Amino acid sequence: MSVATDVTTVTPVLSHRPWWQGKIVQVAVVVGVMVLVYRAFGLEYSWPRSLEWNGLSAHLDSFQSWLLDQRSAEDRSVVFAVFDGFATFVDDLVTWLTDAILWLTWLGAAATGTLVVLRFGGLRAAAIVLAAFVSFAALGVWEASMATLALMLAAVGLSLLVGVPLGILAGRSDRFQQAISPVLDAMQIVPAFAYLMPVVILFSVGPAAAVVSTMIYAVPPAVRITSLGIRGVSVNTVEAAASMGSTRRQLLGKVQLPLARRMLLLGVNQTILFALSMVVIAGLIGGGGLGAVVTSGLYSNPALAILAGFAIVIMAMALDRATEAIANRTDPSQRHLDDTGRQRVRLQTLASATAGVAIVAAAKIAGVSGIYPDETGGGTSVTAQQWLLAQIQKALDYVQDPTSFAFGVTEPTGNFLLTKALLPLQEFLVGTPWFVTVGGLTLIAFLISGLRPAVTTLLMLVSIGVAGVWPLAMDTLSQVLVATVLAVAVGVTLGVLAAESQAVSNVLRPVNDVLQTLPQLVYIIPFIYLMPVSIVPGVIAGVLYAFPVVTRLVERGVRDVAPEAVEAAGAFGATRRQILTKVKVPLAGDAIMLGVNQGIVMVLAVVVIGGLVGSGGLGYEVAQGLVRGQFGQGVIASLAILALGIALDRVTQGSRQARKKGIG
Amino acid sequence: MTAPDAANGARRGEPLIHADGIWKVFGPHADRIVGTPDADLPRSELRAKTGCVAAVRNVSFDVWPGEVFVVMGLSGSGKSTLVRTLIRLIEPTAGTIQIDGRDVTGANQAALREMRRRTVSMVFQHFGLLAHRRVIENVAFGLEIQGVAKTERLAKAREMLRLVGLEDVENSFPDQLSGGMQQRVGVARAFVANPAVMLYDEPFSALDPLIRRDMQDEVMRLQRETGKTMVFITHDLPEALRLGDRIAIMRDGRIVQLGTGEELVGSPADDYVENFVRDVPRSHVLTLRWIMRAPAEGEHADGPRLPVGTTVKDAVPVLAASEQPVVAVDGDDQMLGLVDRVSVLKAIAGEGG
Repeated sequence: MSVATDVTTVTPVLSHRPWWQGKIVQVAVVVGVMVLVYRAFGLEYSWPRSLEWNGLSAHLDSFQSWLLDQRSAEDRSVVFAVFDGFATFVDDLVTWLTDAILWLTWLGAAATGTLVVLRFGGLRAAAIVLAAFVSFAALGVWEASMATLALMLAAVGLSLLVGVPLGILAGRSDRFQQAISPVLDAMQIVPAFAYLMPVVILFSVGPAAAVVSTMIYAVPPAVRITSLGIRGVSVNTVEAAASMGSTRRQLLGKVQLPLARRMLLLGVNQTILFALSMVVIAGLIGGGGLGAVVTSGLYSNPALAILAGFAIVIMAMALDRATEAIANRTDPSQRHLDDTGRQRVRLQTLASATAGVAIVAAAKIAGVSGIYPDETGGGTSVTAQQWLLAQIQKALDYVQDPTSFAFGVTEPTGNFLLTKALLPLQEFLVGTPWFVTVGGLTLIAFLISGLRPAVTTLLMLVSIGVAGVWPLAMDTLSQVLVATVLAVAVGVTLGVLAAESQAVSNVLRPVNDVLQTLPQLVYIIPFIYLMPVSIVPGVIAGVLYAFPVVTRLVERGVRDVAPEAVEAAGAFGATRRQILTKVKVPLAGDAIMLGVNQGIVMVLAVVVIGGLVGSGGLGYEVAQGLVRGQFGQGVIASLAILALGIALDRVTQGSRQARKKGIG
Repeated sequence: MTAPDAANGARRGEPLIHADGIWKVFGPHADRIVGTPDADLPRSELRAKTGCVAAVRNVSFDVWPGEVFVVMGLSGSGKSTLVRTLIRLIEPTAGTIQIDGRDVTGANQAALREMRRRTVSMVFQHFGLLAHRRVIENVAFGLEIQGVAKTERLAKAREMLRLVGLEDVENSFPDQLSGGMQQRVGVARAFVANPAVMLYDEPFSALDPLIRRDMQDEVMRLQRETGKTMVFITHDLPEALRLGDRIAIMRDGRIVQLGTGEELVGSPADDYVENFVRDVPRSHVLTLRWIMRAPAEGEHADGPRLPVGTTVKDAVPVLAASEQPVVAVDGDDQMLGLVDRVSVLKAIAGEGG
C-alpha cells in the first residue's frame, strides 16, 4: 500500500556539518581538560577508600559458601533442584553424545559425518569435512576433538531449541521483537569472561556450565536470524496466503518457515560459529575437549596448545562450510526439483544411509576403536603429532630467540606499544583524580550519545569504584582504548579501500571471514610467543578480533552512500579523493561510529581474556577467581567488566538516529 | 439530463457486497479520529495534528451479483487499502461490511477464515506466489488449507490451469515463468475454490502493456463464462472503462464519483474527474442510452433500430446512411428513444446529451 510512502521519503542532502564533526572537537576539549588536571594533580586523588565497599568480597565468599551448603543440604529448595536438574540433564546429554560418537568408532564417525554432508551439502563441503576428520586424526587430538564436537552438538542443539521458537515469535510479533531486542543486545555485549563466574556458581564446574555459557553467547544470533528470516518472507506472499483463509499455524508451516528456510539454516550456521568461539573459554570451566587442551597447555605445553588451536580452527571452518553449503543447496525456492530430481534425491539418501550403516557395521565387526589410536599395536606412531609438535616448538624457539629476525621486529613493536601507548595511558587513567575521570567520561557520553547513556555511564563508573576495583578497571580501560584505536584505524583504512576497490574487497572478504570464525582465545596464543610482553598479546588479539567488523561496517557504509550524492559531486568536477573525503566518508560517518561501537565491545571481550596470559587488569582477577577458586574477587571483577562494557557501549553508541540507521 | 442507471437491469435481489461508511486511519489512536471534526481535515493537516494518515474516509458502496465493480484512483488514493478492508487483510477503523449477507466486520477469526476460503478470493499486484512450490501446488494451495485431499485438489488445480491455458507448465516453479504467466497462476489460484466474489488488486500493473491487454481479455472471458462478481482495483482509466460495469473514482481516501463509464465521461462530478476523463474519446464510451431523446409529438420511429448499448462510434455509420433518426431499442426490441445526427455531433463535441 502506498499511503505511507510519501511520509518518510527524504532525499539525501549534503549537510554542511555532519553531526559528529562538531562533537569531535567538543570531546577533544574534554580530554584536553582531563590531561591538564592530570598534569596538575596527578596521583593525588585516587579512588578514596571511604567510598569503597570493603566487605564486598568477603560477603560474596560467604554467599558462595551459603550456596554450596544449600545445594548439598538434604532439604534443598526448588530453585537449586531445578538448576541441579538442568545441570545433570546437560551433563548426561554431553556424555551420551560423546559415547554415541565413540560407539560409531573413529572410522564410522568420520564416514557418517562426511556422508551426511555429502548428501545435503554436496561434494565440496563433504571433502572439507572429510579433510577435517583426517586432520583430527593426524594431529593426534581425536578424543579431544570428538569431546568438543559432542559439547558443540549439545550446546548448539539447546541454543536452537531456545532460540528458534523465540525467533519465530519475534518474527511474527513486533511487540515481542521490541521486548526481546534489548535482552539480546545485553547478552551479546557482556564479555564471556564476565559471566563465567556466575554460571559456575549456579551450575558448578562441568559440561553443564560450559554449555550454559555457550548458550548465553549463541542464543542471540539464533533468535535474530530466525526473526530476520521470517520477516524476510515477502509480505505479498504472506498476504496472499492470508487472503485464502490460512490459519496462523498454516501460514507459519506452509509459507513462512519454508520460505525462510535458507535463513534458518544460516542461523544454524551462525549459532554454531558463535558456540564454537566459546569452546576454548568453556575449557576453563570444565568444558573439556580441545578447549581444555588449549587452556591447560598455555603455560605447560605451548606447542600442544597451539596444535589444539589449529584443530579448533579446522573444526570451525569445516562446520562453517558444511552448514553454509547445506543452507544454500537445500533451499527449495532455488532448487527446482522435478519428479526425476526427487527420485534421484531419494536414491542418494538411501545410498548414503546404506553406506553409512555399512561402514559403521564393518568397523564394529573389525573391532575398530572409538578413538583414533596414537600408535598401532606394534608401537608405530600413526599420527603426525610428534613431528608437528617438534615443528611448532622450533617455530616458537625461533620467534623467541633474541638474535632472530622475527624477534627483531616483534620485540620493538611490542615494547613500543607498551611504553608509548599502554603504560602512559594507564598512568593517565589511574592517576587522574577519579572524579575528573568519571566526570569526563560521563560528559563524553553525553556529547556523543545523549543524556540517558550518560547517566548509565555515570552509574556504571561509580559502581566500579565502589566495588573497589577502580585501578584495575582503568588498567583494562587503557588496554581497550589502545586496542580500539588500532582496530578502528586498521578497520577504517581497509574498509574505505575495500569500498573503493573491488579487488581489495575480494581479497579481504575471506580473510575477514576466517578472522571472525576463530574463537577469541585462539588469537591470543600466537602472540604470547610473538610479543611476549605482558599486556601486548591481549591487545593485539583484540585488534585482530575487532577490526574485521569495523572494516565490514565501514565498507558497507561507504558503499551505501547515495549514488546521487556521489554523482552530483562528480558533476561539479570533484576529484576521486575529494569525493572520498568530502562526500563519502562524512556521509558514512554513522557507519564508522557504529564500527567504533561494535569494535570497542569486541575488544573488551578479548582484552579481558588476556587476563589468562598476564594482561593484568580485571581479566586477571577473573582468571584467578576461576583457576584459584577466589570466588568473591572473581565475581567483583566480572561485574566490573560488565559495568565497563555497558559504559563503553553507551559512550560510543551515538545518537538515536545514528543507531537506527545502523540497524536499518 | 439525469444519469440513466445502466446497471439497474442487472440488479436482482440483494447486493452481494454491502460496504457502509468504511474508514481506515493509520497511526496512533487511530480509532479516536473517526467521528471528530479532525476526520474532515485535509490529509497533511491531519497528519501534522495527530500523526495519523486517513487512507480510506467514509466510503460506502454496494456491488451486485455478477457485476464488475472497478475502483480507480492514483497511488495513495486509498484504493488498495479499501479492497483489503473488504476481507479484513487490513482491519477497517470504522464502518460495516457485509458479503453474501454475512457480517464481515463483526465476524470472529474462524468465520472470517471460512469466508476467505470459500466466498472471496483475491488476485494481487505482485502475484504473491509461493516460490518454494510448483505451479500446480500453488494453484492447489487454497484447497490444501481447506483440508481437501491431495489427489482431489491436484485434479481441481489442473482443471483451473487448463482454464487459464497453463496446463503445460504445471511442474514449473513460479520464478521460471514470465510475469504474465505468473499472474495467470495467481488468477487460477483465486478461481480454484470457486468463490462468489473475486477481488483484483491492480493485477496487471506490473505487466507489459501488450500482455496487460491479453490479460484483460482473459479476465473478461472468465467473467463471462463464470458470472463471478468482481471488485477490480486499477489506476488505469482505459482498463477501468474496459472492464467496469460501474466505476468508483477515489481521491484522498474518498469516492469522488461512482457511476458507469459513460456517466463519468459524460458528466464528470468535478474538475478532478474531468481531468481524468478529458482525453478519453467520448464516442468510444458513450452509448445511445446516454444521448437518446424521447420521440417528439407525432414523430415516426421507422429509422434503423440499434440496441441501446451501442456506442456512439458504432452508431455513426448507421446514422450516416439513414435519413431517419436511429431508434434505440431494448433487448425485446421495444423502443426506448431516438438518436439523431445532432445529438451524436453534440456528444462527440463534448456538450453532453
